[in-house]
Amino acid sequence: MPAPSLLESFHSTQQNFDTPFETSRLLQHSEQVNTAPAIAIHNEDIASWLSVSPSPGGPPPHSSIILNETAYSARDPSTFHSTMASTDGSAGSSAAAPQIEQNSASGFKLKFCTVCASNQNRSMEGHLRLAQANYPVISFGTGSLVRLPGPTQSQPNVYKFNQTSYDSIYRELEAKDPRLYQANGLLNMLGRNRAIKWGPERWQDWQIGAPRVKQLDQKDQGAAGMEAGVPDIVITCEERCWDAVVDDLMHRGAPLNRPVHVINIDIRDNHRDASIGGSAIVDLADSLNKVAVEERERVGPAVFDAGGAASRASFDERVPEVVSEWQERWPDLPATWTLAWF
Amino acid sequence: MAADGTSSSSALSVAEQLEQLNAARKLVLENSTYYAQIVKGVLPIIGPQAPVELRRWGAEFLAESLATPVLSMGEKEGIAVTVLETLRHLIEAPNEDTIVLKACIAAAASAYPVVVRWIINNAWNKESWENMTAIKSRILRIWDGAPAPVKICCIKFAQRVVLAQTASNGMEQKHNGLDVSLNMIPEVHSCLDRRQLEAEAIGLLDRTLGILQDSSSDALLVDATLNCLSILARTRPNTTNRILNAVLNFNPLRLATSGPMTPKTKVLVRSLEKTTRMFLAHLLRREPNHPMAGRIQQYLEKLMRQRAELYDEANRKRPADHALAAAADAKRQKMDGAVPLTIPPLGPGPHSLAKIFTLTDNLGLQGFDVTQLPAELAAKIAVRTLENTDQRILDFAVNGVRDRLAALSTAVTAVLSGEPSAVLNAATAPLGVDEDDDDYEPDLTPAEDTEQILNKLDNAPPEEPVSHALDAGTTLATLGPFKLPPPPALDPDTAAQLSQAAASRVFAPLASLKDSVGSGAGGAAAVRRPKAGINRLAAASFDRDSWLTVITRLATRSTAALDDEDYENDGETRIKTEEGATTALGRPPGPSLGDAIREMLYNYVLEDWRRRIDVAVAWLCEEWYCDQLAKRRRRSSSSGGEVVLHYEKWALRIVDSLLSYVTAQDKVLTRFLAEIPELNRAMLSRLKGLCADPTTVQLALTSLLYLVMMRPPVKEMALDVVGEIWTEYEDARPLAAKYLVKWRPGFIESQTRALESGAPPANTMAVET
Repeated sequence: MPAPSLLESFHSTQQNFDTPFETSRLLQHSEQVNTAPAIAIHNEDIASWLSVSPSPGGPPPHSSIILNETAYSARDPSTFHSTMASTDGSAGSSAAAPQIEQNSASGFKLKFCTVCASNQNRSMEGHLRLAQANYPVISFGTGSLVRLPGPTQSQPNVYKFNQTSYDSIYRELEAKDPRLYQANGLLNMLGRNRAIKWGPERWQDWQIGAPRVKQLDQKDQGAAGMEAGVPDIVITCEERCWDAVVDDLMHRGAPLNRPVHVINIDIRDNHRDASIGGSAIVDLADSLNKVAVEERERVGPAVFDAGGAASRASFDERVPEVVSEWQERWPDLPATWTLAWF
Repeated sequence: MAADGTSSSSALSVAEQLEQLNAARKLVLENSTYYAQIVKGVLPIIGPQAPVELRRWGAEFLAESLATPVLSMGEKEGIAVTVLETLRHLIEAPNEDTIVLKACIAAAASAYPVVVRWIINNAWNKESWENMTAIKSRILRIWDGAPAPVKICCIKFAQRVVLAQTASNGMEQKHNGLDVSLNMIPEVHSCLDRRQLEAEAIGLLDRTLGILQDSSSDALLVDATLNCLSILARTRPNTTNRILNAVLNFNPLRLATSGPMTPKTKVLVRSLEKTTRMFLAHLLRREPNHPMAGRIQQYLEKLMRQRAELYDEANRKRPADHALAAAADAKRQKMDGAVPLTIPPLGPGPHSLAKIFTLTDNLGLQGFDVTQLPAELAAKIAVRTLENTDQRILDFAVNGVRDRLAALSTAVTAVLSGEPSAVLNAATAPLGVDEDDDDYEPDLTPAEDTEQILNKLDNAPPEEPVSHALDAGTTLATLGPFKLPPPPALDPDTAAQLSQAAASRVFAPLASLKDSVGSGAGGAAAVRRPKAGINRLAAASFDRDSWLTVITRLATRSTAALDDEDYENDGETRIKTEEGATTALGRPPGPSLGDAIREMLYNYVLEDWRRRIDVAVAWLCEEWYCDQLAKRRRRSSSSGGEVVLHYEKWALRIVDSLLSYVTAQDKVLTRFLAEIPELNRAMLSRLKGLCADPTTVQLALTSLLYLVMMRPPVKEMALDVVGEIWTEYEDARPLAAKYLVKWRPGFIESQTRALESGAPPANTMAVET
């Protein structure tokens, strides 16, 4: 079942443009917050770090329930980024402080890869959040082209993967209709993305295992640790993308002989859900990394006759367990897991 | 650089060494030309004696180096050969660390095709092949007992061995050694024995596929297996059937049905199910014409169905299963608490039958309309409930209802001092069905007991207060037997109308039916025609052609054919009865069903007569046949009753209508005349009309000429008509004369003479022939 696309969500918000803008959106959000308990919890997180955030532009007075998405609509992209930088630090520490301390002790970090359709919204949110949590991370899109909402549903903005930078898309859209693209959050999203890496990359065109040293030199976020270009975990943000990834891996024929856990998290394609999904992804990453570190710390001979104790089970074996525990915490984001090969 | 680090390794701490090693790794990632050098330099530091951190780093680095896509196969050969010895020591070291082992086996998997390719061309290097074989046998030995992460790497290693040792169809991508296959191995080789290698590969494949049977619920192993089978199935034809059979016999949902659905099982089941589905869909998408595509499709559909059922069930069961079990208990206790059943006496006033039987205080339950339940469900519930009902409670309830009834009856007697028992019988205990059940079923079995109810109602006094009350309070008790109102009487006109409607419905399917193969002109029709005819099966297939045959036979034989079946056997008696019946019925003067259909068939043909001339011919053949049967019947029957003949009438009608539309190009007319079973003078005479129009003269005369040449029985008749044309139509004379000269020499002369002498027309003479 296809989740409502960014395009659709855009149109639903666009209709509100005629009505007093901020109020209508707020009303919409507050309703949703009230109806969805899981989201509400998360919103508190966001709200708390938003209220902490020093924002020179000054967030709208009703910031206590305004979400990340609205935060993007800060007038000027640079303020937005300073906002992000300062806020996400606190978000990371509040959400996953214990894990991170533990991780830094051993220093081991799982390498992640986030995947969505256009490598713009959901995978980039995940990319950013994972990078901010100091995980090596890369991100891709599985679509044939990068598609962003345009002035109407039938006029999307379409770009080629690997050949268009976030910056050029940003500048193009800004020149086209700054008000529209500011209002629907696209410029803010692109502004965020261009500070993360050069441009959207297509999964199918990615040469797995090709060194990514250049990206490190470019100061791509999450590039540190990813030099060998092979992640341990691939997180897709939509069932369709998971299918595309698994199918593509089968098609490639697994030349690298390297196992990879491919996990799907169904995140709807809009800014708000992407933001929630981002937190969920970081939560999952922390949980997985904790288990991986435990395995690494168990220095010693392979225990051939290992007892059944769960804590002694290997990382690979514990992934489904971690996913199921995570699923309990995030019941609104259905997950699928498989072990595939690079 | 890195080599410097290795020489002074003992002096440095592990952390410092790792730092140096990471710097070296960064170097090769930046510039792959250093790989050979650095791998060689690193080997001494990461041997089996090194600290575990270094061994882990080393093993992972080797795996990475052998897997990297930036090196060509040639470059990797050099690396693989240098690395083998170290790899072998690491893998053979007893009690090796899991992570080291895992990376070493991954490295070995990458090295395997490289080394095979190297040995093919460098048979002298027996030492390398020995190392590789030793590594292989060690991996295959530890496979079964290894911890899961090592095990999955063993699976992958086995997959690479199978890939390298079975024949390829050349469909794989040509990099990273995926294209190393049995095809590359020469027939004669000092180290490599093709047959042995292939046998080993098949054995390993079976062992790998065994996982799908043995550990079918270990999602990690099964996923790891399924996700590496694709390339084998696609590019190694010898493996395809084994793989598909194994996968198609694998039930990814077994885990779900074997135990409770914990959150973890849910993840595992979903993973198994989706991975299996992905694998098969992947193959199907790439080879839609695979011989097993049908089976795959079937399997996928079945899987979807089972999954839907499973999740459906799981969703329904969940509350009972875990978290909500407590709540369910609470509910049950509440029910138990209500067990001391109290039967409140009925209050004063009129009571509905339902109310008399209602023993619960629960308003919700009282308001529940049991008739909404489907009958089978209600029956099931009733049986279940009866099974589990405590006998004492049941008795108590039954007695309670009895008491109520008794109370009621006494009340009634008090009011109306007469026939109390009859009242009770009528209202309350009609069926002798268990009272407890009655709540659910009174409307289920009235059919069989209608008689009883009727009897009892008849016995009941015509007016009594209780039944009034019942009328007011419930529909239940007033449910008498329901009779459908009798249909209005059918007069002949309506009957005729209805049969007309019936006939038109017979034609309805024609619009949607497909043309039978080659029903237009062309070879197929010509091929088929010999088979068709009077003996063909009307409805061998449901296409337009067959349906038309059915229609024509319906028109021509509908009344006659019923009795004609046995005609051959005992003709006389049958005919008599048939004709007796016909007269007895006193058939109304209106059109019979057959005629109605004929009329519609006629219209149908005329709607598009150029294309439906076949239909007309077929129909007329049937008519003719039936006429012949009728004639024979008349001849053989002594009574010699009149027989209505249809052929001529309809043939004439069709000819007449055709002629008014015919143009010079319509050669179908010739064909039509040639094909209908019987021609008579009247029909042929109609052709003369065509000669009034100069454009159709040729058509008329050609048709006649065709008959002259091809249908000897009507030859003379046709020639007569030509003669008449010659006589009657000045314009047609030249052409007619041409035919007459050839076929009836002397005719023109005699006619000319006769005309000149004012003799009577030639008709008389023609008629005599």
